[in-house]
Amino acid sequence: MSTETQEDGDDLEERVSNFLRRNFPQIQMHGGSAAIQNIDRETGEVTIMLGGACSGCGISPMTIQAIKSRMVKEIPEIEKVNADTGMGGGGGGMSPSFPGETSDDGDDEGPQAPF
Amino acid sequence: MTEFDPEKFEDKYVHYFNELQRAYKNAFNYMNERHDSQVIHAIDQQVLNESEPFYDGNGEFRIELPDDPADRVQGVVVADDKLEELLEAYVERIESELRRVFGLQSSN
Repeated sequence: MSTETQEDGDDLEERVSNFLRRNFPQIQMHGGSAAIQNIDRETGEVTIMLGGACSGCGISPMTIQAIKSRMVKEIPEIEKVNADTGMGGGGGGMSPSFPGETSDDGDDEGPQAPF
Repeated sequence: MTEFDPEKFEDKYVHYFNELQRAYKNAFNYMNERHDSQVIHAIDQQVLNESEPFYDGNGEFRIELPDDPADRVQGVVVADDKLEELLEAYVERIESELRRVFGLQSSN
């Protein structure tokens, strides 16, 4: 078994975070936020939560699709991107979500970078 | 107005991200002003988040929706046929907004 180090994971999280900041400044410009909810290094799956104004203004569909399409191309370790606006079945009003709301896993939390 | 290059549209999320957002947002505003806001929000968040625009040539765009789009809409009360009708109108509006954003509308 190869020893995957923690640093590896932190670096991946940083790259995902930088990727979002660099390529999607629009998220902030529109008054929204994007937070990394979870990164599964084994499956290469990352979950991004779009919050704030992004959850209901008509621009989130393309933002989500663009993040999904570009991140798997530009970050080789990422195989699948789940992006959510936190409004799954709601439909009733805006629910601003706060970055860092990860509930059940507290083992290897990197610094949260809301932007 | 953005000059449209079909080849660049192959990599649309890199080259035309802002235009795509604008077209979707314009369509959202248009639909939201005319129809039940909760249903329009639900379509935006639960169906269009898995949609993809394609360029079919001759100034025509096509929006591909996920399978069984109507089944994805949850949490709002709307009759099935009404939902289908709104989905169709919404998609048509996005396609026309894309033509407008890229200046591909026919003159007559």
